[in-house]
Amino acid sequence: MAGEYEQFLIHESTLLDERRFRDWMALFTEDGSYWVPATVGQRSPYGQTSLFYDDLELMRTRIDRLEHPLIHVQTPPSNTVHLIGSVTVEPGVPAPDPEAGLPTSDVLVLSSAITAEYRLDHTRTFVGRQRHWLRHVDGALRIVRKRVDLVNCEAAFEAIAVPV
Amino acid sequence: MPDGSLNDRGIASLIEPGRVHRRVYTDPGVFELEMQRLFGRAWLFVGHSTQVPKPGDFITTDLGRQPVLMTRHHDGSVRVVLNRCTHRGIKLVAERQGNRQRLICLYHGWTFDPDGTLLRVPVDEGCAPGFKLCDFNLAKAPRVGIYRGFVFASLSPAGIAFDDWIAPMKQNIDDIVDRAPGGEIALDAGVHRYLVRANWKMQAENAVDSYHVPFSHASTVNQKGVQFSRREGDNEGAKVVDGQRTAPQWKQRRSYSVGHGHCWTSNTELKENERSSAVYDEYRRTLEAAVGKERSDWILTPRMHNSLLYPNVSFMGLNMHIRVIRPIAVDLTEVNIYPVRLLGAPEAMNERNTRLLNVTHAAASFVQSDDLEAFARAQAGLQSLQTDWVDISRGLGREEAIDPPGALRQMATDELVVRGQFRAWLDYMSEA
Ligand code: FES
Ligand SMILES: [Fe+2]
Repeated sequence: MAGEYEQFLIHESTLLDERRFRDWMALFTEDGSYWVPATVGQRSPYGQTSLFYDDLELMRTRIDRLEHPLIHVQTPPSNTVHLIGSVTVEPGVPAPDPEAGLPTSDVLVLSSAITAEYRLDHTRTFVGRQRHWLRHVDGALRIVRKRVDLVNCEAAFEAIAVPV
Repeated sequence: MPDGSLNDRGIASLIEPGRVHRRVYTDPGVFELEMQRLFGRAWLFVGHSTQVPKPGDFITTDLGRQPVLMTRHHDGSVRVVLNRCTHRGIKLVAERQGNRQRLICLYHGWTFDPDGTLLRVPVDEGCAPGFKLCDFNLAKAPRVGIYRGFVFASLSPAGIAFDDWIAPMKQNIDDIVDRAPGGEIALDAGVHRYLVRANWKMQAENAVDSYHVPFSHASTVNQKGVQFSRREGDNEGAKVVDGQRTAPQWKQRRSYSVGHGHCWTSNTELKENERSSAVYDEYRRTLEAAVGKERSDWILTPRMHNSLLYPNVSFMGLNMHIRVIRPIAVDLTEVNIYPVRLLGAPEAMNERNTRLLNVTHAAASFVQSDDLEAFARAQAGLQSLQTDWVDISRGLGREEAIDPPGALRQMATDELVVRGQFRAWLDYMSEA
């Protein structure tokens, strides 16, 4: 049971590591979103700053830019590896942040993720707890919301160009 | 050629009319001197009074590299005191913000009021003969100035008066604050913090650099050469490039250098009448109800794109935020970006602004991240010993004198604003 979801998360992070950003975006539902808060325990992405808060339109713009030849902050590109662990599954969850008007999902999958990123002689690590609200659409799993709470979300970051 | 020493002549030889020596960005000795002479003297932005709304509230920050506390005292006044215990020098408060009626040092328990008054010393029978509490109050910032809630401090008792220093830039601050239907803003919607492996001046210069935009931010412009809109209710962003060239509209922008290193750039012509969305229209109605139609139209006319109150704060009129520069080392800088929340405006308008800032100016943003890359690569390139000079000569000799006397204007794609910053830099750095 957890296996199916674990496979899904590994597949998702592999798409990021392989820089298949369009395929990654296709995992999201049309009302999907990707959120990386900037404060510990942040309740809503609206009233406060976030590191990422992309709906599908913003995600598309971000990926267009990632594919642009003159994206200096990805010249050369980052090389990343994700490690996903501690996957647990909870049953269908209605909107956890009523303020944000989150649509309902079938299942909530919790996991830990470590991402190593290398670029220009510099290696850094992102570590966080992930929450994926997933929905079955036409027999396939889709992401309604992905939330990543980095342990150091309140830190000063050097530029982050690719989804963590 | 500059010699190795940093006497006043050595410093002066680093700056020429159209070029500066690479040491101003790379030399740790120059950086140390900047911390004393520039950041130790200049008026620096500390915070906004809405960051400490209630008595006992505090934020911590650094002025230059000196740790300070901005507090709200019991009497309601805002204070700026050094975040350093007067006993053995411990940093008194570690958190970035919070509320405490008494500041108690973790080491031996000396206890201070939010205004820095020493109230109590444990085991006071051990105090030296003649020990007086009042001799050990926290050090205060010698001078504090507040304009429309923005709190500035100087770590030097002498120097230009606050009113004279801020006068040429008041309009730029007003341009932002007046957009609040309540006439006040708050800096309480979080912060974007980012780190740059580069000298702090890279960010100060970049804040008002319109030359880099068409190329540096090429990945953010569409097929028509237009950057995505940064304003609620505006479907079209600014036209930045035309084919392979910088767009004529972009070249219409002007920059202004108004003394003390202060500078700003004007906006391209924006179609204000066509700006409309449910959220924006509601905001405009709220503003009109508060200040009247005529005044509202004037307030909403874009005059300023970005401005710099030299040396450490930028007021950004286009996508509304306050940008604070915090030098850490000669080649390391932290930049903090605060969304402006317009008090009295529909919250949806403020939410849009905050969300937009994620896209333009977070560490993970589409725009600022390419600037960060430029700063870091400048720092790397300037390690080269082959060439000592950095060119800042665009438009040199083509400046146009404007009011008030001493103020200059030219094309925003020229380098007037950089030269103006270095003129102020030299004034701070070479006075004994
Ligand atoms: S160092 Fe603060 S009480 Fe001793
Ligand atoms: Fe830029």
